[in-house]
Amino acid sequence: MTDPLLEVKDLTVDYQAEYADVRALDHVSLSVAPGEFLGVVGESGCGKSTMLFAIAQLLSPPAVLIGGSVRFTGKDMVRLTEAELRHMRWRDYAVVMQSAMNALNPMKTVAAQFADAIRAHAKMTGKEIRNRSAEVLRLVGIDPAHLDSYPHQLSGGMRQRTMIAMALLFTPQLVLMDEPTSALDVVAQRALMRQIKELQVQLGFAVIFVTHDMSVVSHYSDRVMVMYAGQTAEVGGTRRMFTSPLHPYTRGLMDAFPSIRGNRRELTGIPGSPPDLGHLPSGCRFMPRCPDAMPECAARSPEMFAVDEAQVRCLLYDGQAHQGRIGETA
Amino acid sequence: MVQSTTPAPGGTGLDSGEPLLRTVDLTRHFRLGGFRSRNMLHAVDSFSMTIGEREIVAVVGESGSGKTTVARLLTMIYPPTRGTIYYRGRAVNHLHSRRDILWYRGEVPLVFQDPYSAMNPVFRVSHGVMRSLKLHRPELDRAGRQREAQRVFDTVGLSPDMLAKFPYEMSGGQRQRVGFAQALAVQPRLILADEPVSMLDVSIRAGVLNMMARLREEEGVSLLYITHDLASARYVADRIIVMYAGHQVETGPADAVLSQPRHPYTQLLLSAAPDPREEPVDIPADSGEPPRVINPSEGCRFAPRCPLAIGVCASVTPELSKMGPAHEAACHVAAEDVERGRPVHRAFSSSPVAGASQSSALPTSETSGPQGRAPVG
Repeated sequence: MTDPLLEVKDLTVDYQAEYADVRALDHVSLSVAPGEFLGVVGESGCGKSTMLFAIAQLLSPPAVLIGGSVRFTGKDMVRLTEAELRHMRWRDYAVVMQSAMNALNPMKTVAAQFADAIRAHAKMTGKEIRNRSAEVLRLVGIDPAHLDSYPHQLSGGMRQRTMIAMALLFTPQLVLMDEPTSALDVVAQRALMRQIKELQVQLGFAVIFVTHDMSVVSHYSDRVMVMYAGQTAEVGGTRRMFTSPLHPYTRGLMDAFPSIRGNRRELTGIPGSPPDLGHLPSGCRFMPRCPDAMPECAARSPEMFAVDEAQVRCLLYDGQAHQGRIGETA
Repeated sequence: MVQSTTPAPGGTGLDSGEPLLRTVDLTRHFRLGGFRSRNMLHAVDSFSMTIGEREIVAVVGESGSGKTTVARLLTMIYPPTRGTIYYRGRAVNHLHSRRDILWYRGEVPLVFQDPYSAMNPVFRVSHGVMRSLKLHRPELDRAGRQREAQRVFDTVGLSPDMLAKFPYEMSGGQRQRVGFAQALAVQPRLILADEPVSMLDVSIRAGVLNMMARLREEEGVSLLYITHDLASARYVADRIIVMYAGHQVETGPADAVLSQPRHPYTQLLLSAAPDPREEPVDIPADSGEPPRVINPSEGCRFAPRCPLAIGVCASVTPELSKMGPAHEAACHVAAEDVERGRPVHRAFSSSPVAGASQSSALPTSETSGPQGRAPVG
């Protein structure tokens, strides 16, 4: 196993409110290997975007990083100064935001925005900048003629591709993506996912892809991390997760959306709603909604248990973890 | 269960054989630019459909396909450029008195896409329900309205004490249920639901979809479900209408449309829908998006993206033609396939092996017209 490109340990983030702090991210750890595609899945409010921002060191008040470390290319990003971070952004890692409509400056052409990012990090002549910009646009399948277009002249899918092209200007080792496809229609979404995957294989960068829709990453990610109420619920290989999910929450998510080709059957969804992070239940955070809850779950908050290659935060897997999987209720 | 007692003004009952709602040649164009501009955006063209009693019909399409315009035409938010909407046999376009319009809107309410912005944040959620009740059911007194509000909340799966909550105290799923409760309070016959689950978390969508199915069973309402998600359309709807660039391209029973899609666009949508339960299949990429239809000329609007397009596609707009029992598609190639008894063309194939239930409906078999099911070729 190669050294991880990114290693996050016990990352903890609070949102500081007037009366009490709310812990949005509670000791989350993960690692990403070079060239790996990690999908991060969870409901709104589970902390998935907060985690992405914490990794990228982009948190702004009221969100405050309370603890943990983010080791990336040998440095702990948490300890870097803003100037050092600025040097790394775009160059070593890039972030693609959820809404490309808001992330692009409506007053500037695509070329001008690319040039801004390039000039901040490299000494290049105008011609070199133009060539590099055209090159990355071609990579994402946009005609370089659009360099002189304004964002409003591009369709939603093209804007999202433009953002990805911009993230690739310096071919960073890590690209963080926050729901880049959620504003797109199915056809455009599929096309974009294929493109991201192709580029990733071709250029070898690692991706952390945050989404609320499991099915989006199901065919593209190497591993999936499921988050619930600020914690990791389950992390493991993608195929295994979809064929035999371990955590009752993951199973619930799998049963929550209708299949387009399989049998038509009654869906249950997941009853109830995620807990208020200001008033967490004692014990397991998923217990109030869990079909497999045991008395023990109310008393003890589960840690992560290893099951084969995967890890799961559920007491069903306590103790016998090394003997393989237990408690599977189909 | 409350019987609909609202008398139809004008005394029109449901004529025999007349569907609950029927549109004929419904068309809406928008002028782009100033009022002298000649640029007309064709949002919906010649849309003809029916919805029966206790029927759930899904209108499926990407953004820009005209599906929301259809909903807005049906609620009379704006008038059609051409065409007629018949509700229980009455031409809705010709309703002019406030009383008649109120009656129609009470019979056919709309539930909005975004439960976060559809409610006034400074009022309790009971406010909207009570206002609808006051407006549409003046026969109820204060206690009657309260009882009725509690009943509809109960029907959509909310506890009646939720009535006293403010919108910010509710989750998205609960707010969307309030939207349905509000629609239900006016004793509708047909609820128009415009993307009611697309803003909700995946984990709670199923609950709202199940509730829609229950409303049909228990309250006897029909639903027009507008969505971009074929899988959820298949889950709740009896019939599916697929729209592309303002045209209906395919319509039929949900299972027939999805197991034997005849229009290349339906096939494309189907192949693009991710299904994590299956192994990934490699399918040709299509990054195209529906066009904005401005001053269109004749011809099939999907032709520029269609791998099957033939000469006639560019010059003649295809009409809906029969593909199977109650199953129609507007495609020259598919129509020719049926006429000559050829196997179905597949422009974009989805995964080769579908779920067990559909092993009999794989690509080459087809249901063609009165002969029924053709032998599997």
